[in-house]
Amino acid sequence: MWWLNKAVGLVVKVLLLPFTGINPWGGMIFISFLTAVLMLFIYKKTSNQNGIKEVKNLIKGYLLEIRLFQNDFGTFLAGLKKLLSVNVRYLGYNLKPLLVMIVPIFLLLAQMNLWFGYRSPQPGETLLVKVKFNQTVEVGQLHAEVEAPEGVTVDSPPVRIIDENEADWRLRIIDQTGGQLVIRTGSERYAKDMSLSRRQLAKLSAIRVNQNVWKQLLNPGEKPLPGETEIKQIELVYPEARLKFLGLKIHWLVAYFLLSVIAGFSLKGLFKVEI
Amino acid sequence: MAKEKEDNSLSRRRFLELMLATSAGLAFFPQGASLTTRGGRDTARKVLVLGFDGLDPVLTSDLMKANRLPSFRKLASSGSFLPLGSSIPPQSPVAWANFITGTDPGGHAIFDFVHRDPKAYMPVFSASESLPGKHDICLGNLILPLSGGKINNLRRGRAFWQILEDNDIPATVFKIPSNYPPVESKQKTFSGMGTPDIKGYYGLFNFYTNEYKTITEEYGGGGRVHDVYVIGHRVESRIPGPNNPFKKGNPETYVDFKVFIDPVYPAAKIAYQDQEFILKEKEWSGWKKIKFDFIPGQRVSGLCLFYLKEARPKFKLYVSPINIDPAAPAMPLSTPDNYSKELARKFGPFFTKGLPADTAALENEVLDENEFLAQDELVYKESVAILEDELKNFRSGLLFYYFSNTDQRQHMFYRFLDKNHPAYDEKLAAEFAPVIPRTYEEMDKVLQMCLEKVDRQTAIIVMSDHGFNPFRWGFNLNTWLLQTGYHYLLPGSRPEEVTLFQRTDWSRTKAYGVGLNALYLNLKGRESQGIVAPSEREALTRRLANQLEQLIDPKTGEKIILKAYIGRDVYHGPYVDLAPDIILGFNRNYRISWNSPLGSFPRELIEDNRQKWSGDHMSSPTVIPGSLISSLPVKLSDPTLQDVTAGLLSLFGIKIPPEVTGRPIF
Repeated sequence: MWWLNKAVGLVVKVLLLPFTGINPWGGMIFISFLTAVLMLFIYKKTSNQNGIKEVKNLIKGYLLEIRLFQNDFGTFLAGLKKLLSVNVRYLGYNLKPLLVMIVPIFLLLAQMNLWFGYRSPQPGETLLVKVKFNQTVEVGQLHAEVEAPEGVTVDSPPVRIIDENEADWRLRIIDQTGGQLVIRTGSERYAKDMSLSRRQLAKLSAIRVNQNVWKQLLNPGEKPLPGETEIKQIELVYPEARLKFLGLKIHWLVAYFLLSVIAGFSLKGLFKVEI
Repeated sequence: MAKEKEDNSLSRRRFLELMLATSAGLAFFPQGASLTTRGGRDTARKVLVLGFDGLDPVLTSDLMKANRLPSFRKLASSGSFLPLGSSIPPQSPVAWANFITGTDPGGHAIFDFVHRDPKAYMPVFSASESLPGKHDICLGNLILPLSGGKINNLRRGRAFWQILEDNDIPATVFKIPSNYPPVESKQKTFSGMGTPDIKGYYGLFNFYTNEYKTITEEYGGGGRVHDVYVIGHRVESRIPGPNNPFKKGNPETYVDFKVFIDPVYPAAKIAYQDQEFILKEKEWSGWKKIKFDFIPGQRVSGLCLFYLKEARPKFKLYVSPINIDPAAPAMPLSTPDNYSKELARKFGPFFTKGLPADTAALENEVLDENEFLAQDELVYKESVAILEDELKNFRSGLLFYYFSNTDQRQHMFYRFLDKNHPAYDEKLAAEFAPVIPRTYEEMDKVLQMCLEKVDRQTAIIVMSDHGFNPFRWGFNLNTWLLQTGYHYLLPGSRPEEVTLFQRTDWSRTKAYGVGLNALYLNLKGRESQGIVAPSEREALTRRLANQLEQLIDPKTGEKIILKAYIGRDVYHGPYVDLAPDIILGFNRNYRISWNSPLGSFPRELIEDNRQKWSGDHMSSPTVIPGSLISSLPVKLSDPTLQDVTAGLLSLFGIKIPPEVTGRPIF
C-alpha cells in the first residue's frame, strides 16, 4: 500500500510543484482542471456512450410525452413509468465508469488533503502531537519523550490520557525549518515527519498510521509505522487550512468539487463526451 | 458531570435573569443596516485623544516630578497639565457621557451606573436596554421570532464624532465608554465600557473546582462556581452560554467539555467542540473560540480564556467571561458593522467586553493578584497593538483611543498604597504597591509611542474622566433613611435581610437610594406609589441634602458626604426631570456601601471596606478631578470634560452647537 501511496503522491507532487510559491487557488484550479480532463477520458473509455446518448434522448422524449399528455392521465402515467425505467438504465450506464473512477479519485483526494487540508503553523503558534498506543501499553506508567526537530520546542510535559491510551504534548514553533519528530518510549524510537514550510502551498502529513490498510489509504503522507509496534498512530494537529474567496473561507473539498464539475461540463463538448 | 451550586439569594438571581436574559437572545435578530463610509475631508490639523480611565492628576504629578513619566512631562511642557473637572457624580459612564456630548447629565440622561424604574422601584442599568422581538410563533417547545429584537443605547444627545461627521471630518473612536450599542454613525467606532459578555452580563466567569468555594454573583456579573469531580484523571463539565431565545422558557445553552489531567505532571488537556489544547498549571490558554447552538443553523460565537490554576491536589480551572467574538459579533460592537471584523482579521481575537479585566475573579480569590495582572496585561498588549495600527492609518481628523488598565488596577490595588485602608496587607503591599505607579509608566510608554508616530500637525490630548481615592468606608444610605424616618419597612421585617426594597412600606416612605450616588424622593405622580406631594418636594430635598451634609463619621470625625448635590440645581437640559433628586458627593475615603445601591438595609451605617476593590471615584468631583495634559496650551484655568469636547470641535473650526454647554479649552 505504501508504494501505491508513494507513487500517487509523487505524481501529485510533480503536478503541484509549480504552484507552491503562489496562492493555493492556483494549484486547486489546475488540479481540478486536470481531474476533469482525466475523468472525462475515463468516462468516455469506460461508459457506453451510444447507450447513454440513446437513453438521454429517450428521457427527453418521455419528458415531452408527459408534458403533452398531462390531461390524459393514462398516457401521463405510462410516460412517467417509461421515464423512470430509462433513468434506471441511465444510472446503470454510469455505474461502470463510476466504479473505475472511484479508485483514482479516492487516492487523489487523500493526497490532496495533504496539500490543501492543513497549513503550516507560524512561529509562535503551538500545536499538539497525539500518540495513540496499543491496548497492551499502560499509558499511565509510560515514560515517553518527544524529540522535536530544529525550530520546534516541546512546550509541555506529556498529558497521558489513560482511558484513550494516548499521550499528548504541546509543541511550539520557533521557526519553520521542520524535520523529523521522534517519539521515544524506552529504547524504541518512532519518527514522524514534521515538515513546515513558509510556502503558501505545502504538503503536510498530519498522521503516521500503523499497518492498517484503510488507515493507510486515508493517511498516505508517510510510510506506515512498522508492524508489531506499541504505537498505533502519531498525529500532529496542524491548523486547518481554508481557501479564501471574497471574504469567505472555503474548505478545499468544496472548492475542488465545484471547480472540477464546472470544468467537466465545460470541456465535455471539446472531448465529445456524452455524460 | 458538574453539579452547579445553587445561589441562595434567589431574588437577586431572578432579578438578574429578568434584566439580563434578553440581551443575549438578541444575537441573531437583524440589527440596523451596516454603514460603510465616513467623513472624508482631509483636515489640516489632526487630533489624537488618549483616554486613560481614572488617571489621577495628583499621582500623575507626583510621578512626573519623580521623572517616571518622561513622555507626560514632555507633553505637558509643550502645552498644559491641569486637573479636569469631572461629572456629578464622577462615575465613568456619566463622566464619559459628559465628554461625548459636551453636556452634563441633564443633556445626556446618564446619571449613574444604575437608574431605577419608578414604577417598580427596581434598579435598572442606565446605559442600555434590551427589547425582545414583538412577534413570534410558538411550535411546541420552539419559538420562531417574526421580528427582530433591539438593543438601545440609552445615552441621549449627539456624540462629538456625529457632530464631526456632520462637518465631514473623519473620526475613529475606540472603546469610549457609554457607547454601547454604538450610536449610528458613519465614523469608525468600537463600543467600550457597557458592552456585555455573550450572556448579556457585565462579565460572568466560571470556576471549576473540587474544592469547596463560594463566590458572589454581583449586580450584572461576578462568577459561578461549578463543583466537579476528578474521576480517573478526568473532569467533565459544561460552560454556560447565553439563554436560548428559540426555546420556551429561554433555557441556558451550554457547551460540554472534558479535562484530562496527567497522572503525574501538573498539566491537563482541555477538549470541547473542535478545540483541544494542553495547559500547564498556572498557564493561560490564549483566546479560544466557543460556539453555542440554539437551533440548527443558529449559533453564536464567543471567546474565552482558560486558566489552569491547579491540577492537583485540588483541581481549579478558571474560564473567563465569554466575550462577544469580534469576527462574528452576535451583538452590535462597531460602526460600521465590519470594523470589528476588520480588527479581528488583523489582530485575531481580542477583548470586547466593556470592562475587560476580571475584577470579580480577583475579588472572589479565584484569581490572585499576579493572575489578575497577567490577564490585564493581555488587555494592555492588545490595546497597544490596535492603537499602533490605528496610528499608522491616522491621516486626517480625530482619533480617540481608550485604555481601561488605569481604572481597573487602581480599583483593585489601591489598598496597597493606603496604609490606613482596612484591607491593607503589609506583606502583599511590599509586592504590589508598585503596581499602580507601574501602570502609569505603561501609559507613559503608550504616549511615547504616539509622540513618535504622529506628525507635527497632530494635537495630542491625554485625558481622564476622574481621579481616584481610597475606598475605606462604605455608607449605607438606605439604612440612614430608615433610621431617620424617611424610609419604612413593613411590620415584622428584619432590615438586614431585605433586598431590592422587597419589604418597603411605600405608603409611608419618603425617600430611597438606588444606584451608587443617587437618592430619590417617593414623589407623587412620578413614583407608582409616591407620597411626597410636588409642593413638598423642594423643602424635603433641601432638608435631606442639608442633613446628609451634616453627617459625621464618629470614628474619624470627618464628614461622610462633602456635598449633597440637588439634581435640578446642577443639571441642565431636556432630561433633568429624570435625574435623581439628590446626588451624593462623598468625602475622600468614603463611598456608598456594597449593599445599599440595590435596596438593602445593612445593620451598620458605616462599614469598613475590607474588599480588594479598594480604590474608587464616587466622591464629590472636587475631590477627584480627572487629568488633562495637552500639547496645545489650554486657555481655561478650570476646564471640565464638556469643555474638552467644545475644544475638540473648535480645533476643527466647527461652530459649537447650542446643546454643547462646554467652553472651548483652546
